[in-house]
Amino acid sequence: MSAANPRLDLTVTHPKVRFWQTLFFRRKIVPWLFVLPILLINVSVVLGPAISSVYYSMTEWSGVGEARFIGLDNFRRLLLEDRSFRVAFRNNLLWLGIFLTLPMAMALTAASLLAPIKRGALFYRLTLFLPYVLPSVITASIWRNLMHPDRGVGAQLSEWGISGFDRAFLGDPKTVLPAIAFVDNWHWWGFLMVLFLASMQNISQDLYEAARLDGANRWQEFRDVTIPGIRPTLVFMVLMTAIWSFLTFDYVWILTQGGPAGSSEVLASLVVKNAIQRFEAGYASAIGLTMSVFVGIIISIFVLLRRRGWEI
Amino acid sequence: MSSNDTFDALSRAMARRASRRTAIKGGAALASAGVISGAALSSSSGVAAQDGANITFWFDTTGGAETAQCLIDNIVNPFNAQGGTQVEATMQPNGWTATQTALAGGAGPDIVVTPGPTYVMELAKAGQLLNLDEAAAAHGWDQTVLPWALDLGRVDGSIYSIPHEVESLVLWYNATLFDEHGWEVPNTMDELITLSQAVQDAGLIPFAHGNQEWRPANEWFVGEWLNQLAGPDLVYAALTGEAQWTDPAFVDAISKLNDMQQNGWFYGGLDRYYTGASADTASSLAYGDSAMKIEGTWFFSDAMMFFEESGQEWGWAPFPSTDGTDIFDLGIGSTYSINARTAAPEASAEFLNYWFSPEAQGIAVSVCGMGPAPVSIPEELLEGIDARQAAMINAVADASAAGNYGYTTWTFFPPKTITFLIENIERVWAGDLSVEDFLAEMQSVFDPELAAGDVPPLPARS
Repeated sequence: MSAANPRLDLTVTHPKVRFWQTLFFRRKIVPWLFVLPILLINVSVVLGPAISSVYYSMTEWSGVGEARFIGLDNFRRLLLEDRSFRVAFRNNLLWLGIFLTLPMAMALTAASLLAPIKRGALFYRLTLFLPYVLPSVITASIWRNLMHPDRGVGAQLSEWGISGFDRAFLGDPKTVLPAIAFVDNWHWWGFLMVLFLASMQNISQDLYEAARLDGANRWQEFRDVTIPGIRPTLVFMVLMTAIWSFLTFDYVWILTQGGPAGSSEVLASLVVKNAIQRFEAGYASAIGLTMSVFVGIIISIFVLLRRRGWEI
Repeated sequence: MSSNDTFDALSRAMARRASRRTAIKGGAALASAGVISGAALSSSSGVAAQDGANITFWFDTTGGAETAQCLIDNIVNPFNAQGGTQVEATMQPNGWTATQTALAGGAGPDIVVTPGPTYVMELAKAGQLLNLDEAAAAHGWDQTVLPWALDLGRVDGSIYSIPHEVESLVLWYNATLFDEHGWEVPNTMDELITLSQAVQDAGLIPFAHGNQEWRPANEWFVGEWLNQLAGPDLVYAALTGEAQWTDPAFVDAISKLNDMQQNGWFYGGLDRYYTGASADTASSLAYGDSAMKIEGTWFFSDAMMFFEESGQEWGWAPFPSTDGTDIFDLGIGSTYSINARTAAPEASAEFLNYWFSPEAQGIAVSVCGMGPAPVSIPEELLEGIDARQAAMINAVADASAAGNYGYTTWTFFPPKTITFLIENIERVWAGDLSVEDFLAEMQSVFDPELAAGDVPPLPARS
């Protein structure tokens, strides 16, 4: 053995790994970098104002200049003194009741009738969906004229001897809210129908055939096959309808601005009036925050029922 | 006339509206171009401004861009053509909302236009408007702007705005219909009530009123009945806290308004009133389905258009008061101020001085169909306008100079009180609220606003 047996240097030299080449960076940091731009926008235009509105709801603020902190006084006034708030809240509940029943029933019925149709299916779907893509201002203007007591559909029916429809539905406190809901529903239910129809077409035909073999009639097919088959879509739309019912604004504002005599006032129109017309942006923030609380309660109920095992 | 005929006529009239206005503009603009480029521009250069400064001015186009374009073409562009300060005019839909938002964000145009003195107070208190005392002294605005109007622009004693578009509410009527039936134009409220009953008995509608498109129209009637029946002195006293809104004279005034509404005199009934659009009611008046209409002096262009279409004649008269005295409730359509953050305060003031010159305002009235600013406009600058409109402008100016004026709600009432009466008079009409309770609640809304100094400056009664 030679004394000059050189010792092998077995040290492995790794190429230098930079931080952005590490697994940690790729898995934990990179996704956040992709999200960061929209996150920053969201924080600045949604989260920031949302948090600031919590503060402003506890201030006396005109919308310009300094805000004066007054604690919970806006909420005390809202709940104990403001008649308009109570009327608007009641109207939002009525609105919720209308939109959780009428358009749902219409959309489910139409979707189940259209589902088996193959020839001309696209035509029917487009026709019923079309009102949804019209701007609310256009839809409201169309129906404002159609419901006009002198030149609308009612006046024409009256000329043909069918009386009772030549009324100013939007000018009568008893009929104004259902009349606005009718207009809103005209544009809304077609959208619901298309969603339900798309969901129904994912239901296996085997289930319907099995039901028929068991002697199920059309109603039983609908109740025991169709409804369970579209349950996720149905529940999602019930949830969204409930949320949107508390935020409804455009048709009310365009058609009546809450009148006559406050009979079509909703919470969102009350926010606008207080913030813009009365220079009470602080109080308007309190109403807005209350609307968010109502929506939060609805979402919480759904989450709670799911946790308790309800199939929704 | 059938409803279908009315609708057809309405459609035709709407289609012709633009062309008629364009024709007026074309002729009058040529006639006045020399005036504006000479007299107004030389008068506006009395105080040196920043050389070559650029200032911004947003024109509200919510009601249509036609008038704004007319003002730019005939007033702003000649100003720019002289060199020096340049005005960058921008068409701005929802102008007030955009301005309010921009100011809150530390930006906004150099020339700030608001819907009225109430809004100026809020902006001035927030430090967003420039104090115009020095500019007013330098340009001598106390000599050119009517005193009551200049006072209206004051906040805590300092000038922050100049009112624009002096308005008043008057009684418009279908003169052809009056002639056919032998009706006399009423001077007193009693005569008006008697006439309204006669109109209804003839199978016609006394008043062509509707608030579908503009719900604040409610306040026109509340304000007019308060001023004309209870009198402007009592309204002034209530606005300054020396009288109460629950005064029996106010109760009587609002009760009479309620009676007339319950009689179906406002467009045939409450439901019709709530669904009556402005074109519907104007057409109803022009075609003789309705006899009268209580609306602002701004209705002139619509009166011209709809009556030209119907081939009938219109007339106007001061709104009947209790004793027959001619009283005009004064109002302001907008105000002009300077942004506190402007980089060119002197150039902005120079432009305001030009804008409120008699020459520029003569163009605004005669060419663009605007209401006049509260400045004296020589008769020669108003040549060519309809004699009835000229008489109306002169009558309102004379009344304001002589002190025979009342207080429109949208100019002299504080914001919460205005919103209250617009919303809650409908509850009175619906029978949900008594007149006494309505006025008592109005007082409770008004008191804190008075205490907080939110009532706009009131010109003292002579």
